[in-house]
Amino acid sequence: MSTLKHKGKGPQALTANGLRKGPVVYLTPDYVWSTDYADALITEDAAAIEKMGETGDRDEDANLIVGPYFIDVEADSGLPARYREKFRMNGPSFDPGQPTHIDHNKARGALIIGGEK
Amino acid sequence: MYRYDEFDHQFVRARTAQFRNQVERRLAGTITEDQFKPLRLMNGLYLQLHAYMLRVAIPYGTLSSKQMRQLGMIADKYDRGYGHFTTRQNIQFNWPELTAVPDILDDLADVEMHAIQTSGNCIRNVTSDPWSGSTADEIEDPRPTCEILRQWSSLHPEFTFLPRKFKIAVNGATEDRAAIRAHDIGIQIVRNDEGEVGYHVLVGGGLGRTPIMAQSLNPFVTREQLLPYLEACMRVYNRYGRRDNKYKARIKILVQEEGIDKFRSEVEKEYAALTPADIAVDQEEIDRITAYFSPPEYEDLSDVDTDYQRALETNAEFKSWNDNNVAAHKIAGYAIANISLKPIDGAPGDITGEQMRSVADMADSFSFGEIRATHEQNLVLANVKKADLFALWMRLKEAKLADDNIGLISDIICCPGMDYCALATARSIPIAQQIYERFKDPARQKAIGEMKIKISGCINACGHHHVGHIGILGLEKAGVENYQVKLGGDATETAAVGAVTGKGFEADELIDAIERMVDLYLDKKEGEERFLDTYRRIGMDPFKEVLYGAA
Ligand code: SF4
Repeated sequence: MSTLKHKGKGPQALTANGLRKGPVVYLTPDYVWSTDYADALITEDAAAIEKMGETGDRDEDANLIVGPYFIDVEADSGLPARYREKFRMNGPSFDPGQPTHIDHNKARGALIIGGEK
Repeated sequence: MYRYDEFDHQFVRARTAQFRNQVERRLAGTITEDQFKPLRLMNGLYLQLHAYMLRVAIPYGTLSSKQMRQLGMIADKYDRGYGHFTTRQNIQFNWPELTAVPDILDDLADVEMHAIQTSGNCIRNVTSDPWSGSTADEIEDPRPTCEILRQWSSLHPEFTFLPRKFKIAVNGATEDRAAIRAHDIGIQIVRNDEGEVGYHVLVGGGLGRTPIMAQSLNPFVTREQLLPYLEACMRVYNRYGRRDNKYKARIKILVQEEGIDKFRSEVEKEYAALTPADIAVDQEEIDRITAYFSPPEYEDLSDVDTDYQRALETNAEFKSWNDNNVAAHKIAGYAIANISLKPIDGAPGDITGEQMRSVADMADSFSFGEIRATHEQNLVLANVKKADLFALWMRLKEAKLADDNIGLISDIICCPGMDYCALATARSIPIAQQIYERFKDPARQKAIGEMKIKISGCINACGHHHVGHIGILGLEKAGVENYQVKLGGDATETAAVGAVTGKGFEADELIDAIERMVDLYLDKKEGEERFLDTYRRIGMDPFKEVLYGAA
């Protein structure tokens, strides 16, 4: 059984940080990790959530990701429910980066972690 | 400034090599995250809201131009072109990749810098007065003492696993510019009736969720006694400090629970049991270290420079910068130039790699190649000829660093908040920006005068909101950012913890609320009173009334 519990109600997504580079990642329907929230698996299905949790544990043990946890997702918008997670998804609301976080991600494209290489 | 000796070089290189190996083992999976986390934290590497964050120590806020250039290089090469100066006179990089950190640490070691003890339950970077060595109100330059403390506390085997983190600040002037009463131990350099210079040691200060101002522990500790005395304090704390509850583990709680007298007697007992000579530094070593901080080669100048005077008379913009950002120097013909890192379109304390190089060049041209970082998240060139101030200002303008707001309402201390920090409950940067925007009229800022607004994005209080004239704490209330307001805090020699005004404000109400308080002050102000003075005189009630309406 997964050690990752979710206390929330409604749809869930699973997030973490990539180990090597540190980016925010989300578990996808292919059970790999993507830096793009648009790729995230969002579900209320108990069996899927259980499998997500197991994947989180497994990929943390496999040194792919760090600190996986479930987040609540708003059913209507499909966006993370808590504003903390909205900021985490978008990068800093004020971003002096050269490039900015959004541009950096765009230029790099979604980073996929895990799965068959 | 201080240069590493053989021992310093060796320990920093050894630690960097050790961390490289730890990262390799982590990536290979031979150590787990649980095992790795304390190791990376000991080397200043956090995992924050979006990414890793590396915090680099700047001992007592002093940097050489060479070090500043290297920080700029690191910002550009490994990060996203900027860094962030913190309220502990350190610098943080927000986007390093774990795989690159060993190289960053090597590059830091090349310029005698590191990230050791910028996290974890150890003695952190010692902080001090950014104007050290340059003001007339100084009893003694605190930097040699800070350096002695740095050497004593670096990798001190007994104090690597304290109950909680431990922060020491040293101030050498009569005015407290190092916020020593907000520290676990605050050290004020004093002169006794016999004319001997020594240390007034204060203990048990701290912000966080339980703000307490430090109390006097010993009014006069001699130079020879300082390290043994501090060692005794640390031992008492290490033994009795609470390890059962993270929120009660700071020394302030121990001192509060036991009482200052009991704590003092424990320290005295411990001091009596140790052999001071084993710990104290001898005079020869004190002299060796002090020599690194001997005054730069000041020229013999007249205090009046006619070109400078003319520039002040003919250039209003320069005069405004000069009036707000330049402070008096103890040497005739010199000045202290404060560089604001609080532009209207930036985040407090942020600086780009390019700006770091510009500041380094300016330090070389105008201030003996040395720069200071302040706990108010600005920079200082502490030894500039008055005759060079105009040229310096032109260069600052070019580098977009000529904001003339030091000490004013837009010179805000602000933690990274939820834009970066994993612990945050609300954002702080946009609040600082909105306050600046609201009060951007320079004449209005000047009319308001000295004002310390300090903003934290959570109860941990890195933004020092407890000691702001106006303190702002970002919280989450029913899924919305909500800001608690405090009034009357003070981080100086007249230190005080601010009082909460009442119920918090949502972001869009907050700026109006601040404006109402500022207008009330301007209305009630008598003579030369600052906001803080007026608050102290008229008390909280009138402010509550403008915030919440009549009771
Ligand atoms: S006060 Fe809170 S939000 Fe701000 S930097 Fe400190 S821990 Fe982060």
